[in-house]
Amino acid sequence: MKFDRRFIFILIVLAVMIPLLFPIDLPVAITDETRAVYDRINVLDSNSVILMSFDHEASSLPEVRPLAEAVLTHCFQRDVKTVGLALFAEGTAIGYDILNDVAARYGKMYGIDYVYLGYRPQYSAAILGMGESIRGVFPADYDDTPYDSIPLLSGVRNYDDIDLVISVADGSLPTYWVEYAQARYGQKIIAALAAVMVTAYTPYVDAGQIDGLLGGLKGAAEYEKLLGQPAAATRRMDAQSLAHLSIAVLIVIGNIIAFAVRRGKRITEEGRS
Amino acid sequence: MLKKSPILVCAVCGVFMITQYFITAEPVTDLYRSVLDWMQIIFVCALLVGIINVILRQVRMASRPGRERIYPFITLFGIALMVILGFGWGIARGSPFLWVFDNLQAPMQSTVFSLLAFYVASAAYRGFRARRAESIILVLAALIILLGRVPIGEIVSPHVPSVVGWVLAVPAVAAKRAILIGIGLGMTATAIKVIAGMERAYLGGR
Amino acid sequence: MGGGRRFFARAGSGFLFGMAILFTLPEKAIAADWFAAERTPELVAVVVCAIAILVSVYAARRRRFYVRPLAGLTAIDDALGRATELGSPVVYITGWGGDLARPTTMASLAILSHIAERVAAYGTRILFPSHDPMVASAAQDTIRQGYMKAGRPELFRAEDVAFVTQSQLGYAAAVDGIMSREKPGAVFLLGTFEGEALILAETAHNVGAVQISGTDSTIQLSFFLVACDYTLIGEELFAASGYISGDPLILGAVRGQDILKIIIVALLLLGVLLGGFGVDVIADWLS
Repeated sequence: MKFDRRFIFILIVLAVMIPLLFPIDLPVAITDETRAVYDRINVLDSNSVILMSFDHEASSLPEVRPLAEAVLTHCFQRDVKTVGLALFAEGTAIGYDILNDVAARYGKMYGIDYVYLGYRPQYSAAILGMGESIRGVFPADYDDTPYDSIPLLSGVRNYDDIDLVISVADGSLPTYWVEYAQARYGQKIIAALAAVMVTAYTPYVDAGQIDGLLGGLKGAAEYEKLLGQPAAATRRMDAQSLAHLSIAVLIVIGNIIAFAVRRGKRITEEGRS
Repeated sequence: MLKKSPILVCAVCGVFMITQYFITAEPVTDLYRSVLDWMQIIFVCALLVGIINVILRQVRMASRPGRERIYPFITLFGIALMVILGFGWGIARGSPFLWVFDNLQAPMQSTVFSLLAFYVASAAYRGFRARRAESIILVLAALIILLGRVPIGEIVSPHVPSVVGWVLAVPAVAAKRAILIGIGLGMTATAIKVIAGMERAYLGGR
Repeated sequence: MGGGRRFFARAGSGFLFGMAILFTLPEKAIAADWFAAERTPELVAVVVCAIAILVSVYAARRRRFYVRPLAGLTAIDDALGRATELGSPVVYITGWGGDLARPTTMASLAILSHIAERVAAYGTRILFPSHDPMVASAAQDTIRQGYMKAGRPELFRAEDVAFVTQSQLGYAAAVDGIMSREKPGAVFLLGTFEGEALILAETAHNVGAVQISGTDSTIQLSFFLVACDYTLIGEELFAASGYISGDPLILGAVRGQDILKIIIVALLLLGVLLGGFGVDVIADWLS
């Protein structure tokens, strides 16, 4: 039975818009995955240095920004030193903005508590190169300040001096972090991903190649709950819940209609014969 | 010799990149770091080739009469605008370049990305048909995962999250690992064929 | 001594020599501090893979290996014929996720060379929008060669193969625009895809094209299986070129992959069996 797709589109629009205008405040339960990431970052302190890589494009910003902000909030609460960079050109300015915004909320000083190195093309070469020398890949930061004159980076040579890499991604870049940084240099990796990518990386978590996985808006909402600071992700969970429910209902309706049509055809054929 | 030289370069570089992974001697490591730098340089050169390609193509399209002649002009204007803004006023926070990126490009990209939500719904409606035993299992798994990955699943039943966790951790991972092993072997075989000079698709045909 | 025996004699000697180096030299190398001993399992894996593939490729020159029929590939001729009857072009997409260095892209270009030859024989246009200038350049040469092999070089149009943009969604929008305007009869989605996969597949469906897809991305594979008419799963994409052309080199490599899979499965079973008795020697050595 031919069904105009536009009815489906209208249903999705309503399912997303209505909860945003009239919040339902559905409870968010914490999963083991998110708790594992939280616990992993919770052991870090002011002596720790993390590398946060903004490996995403502008298109997925509504989904990955809450993830990045939640993790950065936790890191800055723990006074963890943060080195930001981008391996996608579009993620460069976005990452810089996010890092500065969250740092400003916690009174963090650029160059001492956090630094942003900017963008490097050819991500495989950049990831491998940082294993030898981060300074070799980024001789200066995003504002062209020489690497050697940044206090935070004085003791940071390569992955040996990085406690954790957090890849905020909407694509397959965490695979390259695993294949190059983890496999070759034993670097610990956490992936904060768009929800659609989560199942692709579960095998890596099971194999111990990725230390933790934070997925999509739900992962960000759970993390906000753990931090005790509900924010953008929590607000959007209602809309996502209703959208998922709508798709589930559509699948059921589609199958009922298909079953009814098949049954009708069978009855007609039996009647003819 | 000229025809065979890319194949020879590929073979030598391929063998070196495999060998350097196992050899930690200083000269080898230095050469490896050099290769990484050159990879970035080559990428930028390829980007320049691409930009010139785009500009030439848009100019050709703009010179052809037709209803859609306006679009190549818009593309060329966009390229010129971003270059002028970037070089003229920089790309720091608050610059016109970033303003255009934040207020034009990012929303446009998010808009196209949001099409996925609608297309997932229409593809799911069209594609998830329970005709045979396998497809019934697929439909049931899809319904469980759809509800289980959002708070509504916990309201439907407190067991939904644990069922979802099992589905994602066991059968889904098993299937993914099997496919990944196959893909990994395929990639390994292709890489070995490229190094051995048997695969020449990157040269534009055999 | 015949050519084959000479080859195996050399290969055998080389293998024994290599094994001798592998097991004796590392001790000296460790003393000399230039061999990464902890990477020995990977070295063994590389050597085993190389031997399996190269020996299989050589053996394929003497006998043709069987490849089971793949639905997506048997449908290629029907898809091309449909496009020709409709007077519509064919659109070939290698996906945004892969550059020319990626084996999946190379496998896709190998399939493209055969499709280009058939398309040229039918006198049908083939459009190739690309996200990477190097891929576009390689594809242009590949398609041109296809037209020349079919004896119809005059039909080749360089402007049908173009670098569009490196931006993912910009690329998806551009390809969607091409499909909406040109209304192709067949769309090939073969390569490495990311988030744009479903957007492209759905648009291809909406314009009424037959879609034949294949990707190495397990995520996008799910979308293709639901949205496309035919899907090549995982390594079927790498076997496809050999299946279409019957090229012994490619078929030999496919057989080599199967041999390696048997070795992996044997190791898995052995590891599980030994692990059941608390003997983790295989797992320890591999990790």
